[in-house]
Amino acid sequence: MHIPDGFLDAKTVVATGALATGGLGFALRQVGARLPRRRVPLMGLAAAFVFAAQMLNFPVAGGTSGHLVGGVLTAVLLGPSAAVVVLSAVLIVQCFLFADGGVLALGANIFNMAIVNSVAGYGIYRAVRRLFGGLRGLVLASAFAAWCATVLAAVCCTGQLASSGTVAWVVAFPAMANVHMLIGLGEALITALVIAGVARARPELVEEGAPPRVGERYVEFAGFGVLVALGLALLVAPHASSLPDGLEKVAAALGFEHKAAQPLVAAPFGDYHLPGVKSAVWATAWAGAIGTVVVFALAWLLARSLVPKSRDDAAPPRR
Amino acid sequence: MRLDLLDHHSRLDSPIHRLPAAVKLVAAVGLVVATVLLPASRPAGFALVAAAVAVAAVLSRIPPAFFGKRLLLLEPLALGVAVLAIFQPGGWRVFATVMVRTNLCLLTMILLSNTTPFADVLRVLQRVRVPPLLVTTLALMYRYLFVLADEVGRMGRARASRTFSPQRGVAWRSLAGIVSQLFIRSTERAERIYAAMCARGWQ
Amino acid sequence: MTPALELRNLCFRYPDGTEALRAVSFAVGEGDCVGLIGPNGAGKSTLMLHLNGILPERLDGEPTVFVGGRPLTAANLTAIRRDVGLLFQDPDDQLFCPTVFEDVAFGPQQFGLGGDALAARVGDALARAGIRGYEKRQPHHLSHGQKRRVCLAGVLACEPRVLVLDEPTSDLDPRGKRELKAVLRQIPATKLIATHDLELVVELCPRVIVMDEGRVVADGPTLSLLSDEALMLAHGLEKPHSLQHHHPH
Repeated sequence: MHIPDGFLDAKTVVATGALATGGLGFALRQVGARLPRRRVPLMGLAAAFVFAAQMLNFPVAGGTSGHLVGGVLTAVLLGPSAAVVVLSAVLIVQCFLFADGGVLALGANIFNMAIVNSVAGYGIYRAVRRLFGGLRGLVLASAFAAWCATVLAAVCCTGQLASSGTVAWVVAFPAMANVHMLIGLGEALITALVIAGVARARPELVEEGAPPRVGERYVEFAGFGVLVALGLALLVAPHASSLPDGLEKVAAALGFEHKAAQPLVAAPFGDYHLPGVKSAVWATAWAGAIGTVVVFALAWLLARSLVPKSRDDAAPPRR
Repeated sequence: MRLDLLDHHSRLDSPIHRLPAAVKLVAAVGLVVATVLLPASRPAGFALVAAAVAVAAVLSRIPPAFFGKRLLLLEPLALGVAVLAIFQPGGWRVFATVMVRTNLCLLTMILLSNTTPFADVLRVLQRVRVPPLLVTTLALMYRYLFVLADEVGRMGRARASRTFSPQRGVAWRSLAGIVSQLFIRSTERAERIYAAMCARGWQ
Repeated sequence: MTPALELRNLCFRYPDGTEALRAVSFAVGEGDCVGLIGPNGAGKSTLMLHLNGILPERLDGEPTVFVGGRPLTAANLTAIRRDVGLLFQDPDDQLFCPTVFEDVAFGPQQFGLGGDALAARVGDALARAGIRGYEKRQPHHLSHGQKRRVCLAGVLACEPRVLVLDEPTSDLDPRGKRELKAVLRQIPATKLIATHDLELVVELCPRVIVMDEGRVVADGPTLSLLSDEALMLAHGLEKPHSLQHHHPH
């Protein structure tokens, strides 16, 4: 899902850059205000951990393999703001050392994989956790959230590619969403297994963090919520509906639209030679909706099979 | 991703290696910006960028085969997305433009990372006042990448030497076992690093 | 004369209830080199962490550690961390900066050194650790023995009066051990060396302290204690080969 350079146009680069800078800055402030001094080294070690974990491939159907993104995993273990910082660090190093993910696409990659993946994923995790306690709830919530977060990040990525005029939404959305609904299963399974493993060996490490005061958590949720919503409204909503292109409007209002490179595809919704592309979008949306229910059920089964009833009480308390 | 290919040549000595890191960073980002902003209708522009990258690559004394190897390793990621562009009107033209742009940018970044030690990049970040927490995180991450990658390798081998039935379920569980063990060890190491930092007067 | 390092009735219990140190008391004279031995889990490493105030986490009780006569209290913490240099067991834990220069400079920088004075201090510390000119190297390109000596340089750069070393020769090959011993002999600071390497103790330390289960069980001249087979076996140790000929046959 690492977008290389050359796939995004100027306005998308600027918009995602601003969103990522805002999100990372906000996360750094949140972490800086709350992180105890003794946990500062853990941020770097956690980033190295995510990096190392991402190097392990898992098999996906059909001979392809995927690898962990780790947003939900990190958010559950360290909290959402710390996860944003940690994953951003991973993406920055991947970009500058491995040329994995572009420099100008860094904003987009941070927005998708560090912010949307961990923050939105964490929001879903907390919502499920509110309803299901115990170790089983932990497994269920983290598996389900990891799957949703993977698909969401892929949809954001598609929105950015479509906004740049590189790939038309009607082509990219079904492809990206369907592939990541599959990859998401791997992410969900690994995330849940790892969190269950850590919770068993060292229960105090899961969500240990510094439990924030009630008000602070709302600030965190509100801040990231606004940011993610803004990103979705600008980059994804225009394609997914008949809304006017928000990003184009903003670019025009700020007066740098004329500086943006010519879109490669003049009419992204022009006539398509492939039959049934429009219906593919709807089919994918339906698959997503049904997939969500199915994955929730699968995650529930996973939690039941992984955690025997007797072990469930020994779980960290739900908060 | 193979760690031995990481900033492999960043300690060579060449006119490019000797340039200050800040200059190289600005130049590389400038080239990437130019490549991305150039309209597809101006092939001469791309040729110019390509020439600049090629001259710098020759001056850097990095073996050309190395660029090829790194590029091949990264190509699938770009191709995976670019292929989608073919399925639309005028798709081949889009595909070709995107691939030219991407490869030029990739070459620029491979050149940057192999002529500039990451420690120097960090110093530049520090100077332009990137928040210290982020710089510290990046520095520690870079330092412990190698240590953790070694640890993963050792754990993987230890597991493989005792795994006799390559079933999928077992593979998943052992992968998850390695990752959770790695996380626990990382937190323990972070504690020891904290102690070592304090011992040398960290405030 | 005030001892360079003194412990008075030091006790410590981990948050999980494990009693790690029980009323440990001893003193080390200025310039002395003392070995600290004992089985795994005897409390050696925990003890070392107390010597410059990393443990306990809160320094509000009666002071139990004295460095050059000065009690280790919250107010004295910075000064004492400067006076006591700690070499940790795993060099990867201690070498946390991206380059050797930055790592060795870390301590002196915390104490306010900068510019040319800092560079000179780093160069000097590297020379004393026997790795002159390693400034630009990256830790992950160094061998285990080289890493250990960079760590030592990082400690020496703080110019400590007391040097506390945790397993300095573990994982070193014979040549690495020999070189490290030569380096340690050259350092005039007071030294406390916790180790399982009894040959190292025989060679470097005239005096040895034996710990077991958080207590000091013996404290005296190295040759007579290490030759006491009953004492050694009772505490999970064994008489070093180099002392076999001291045994009355």
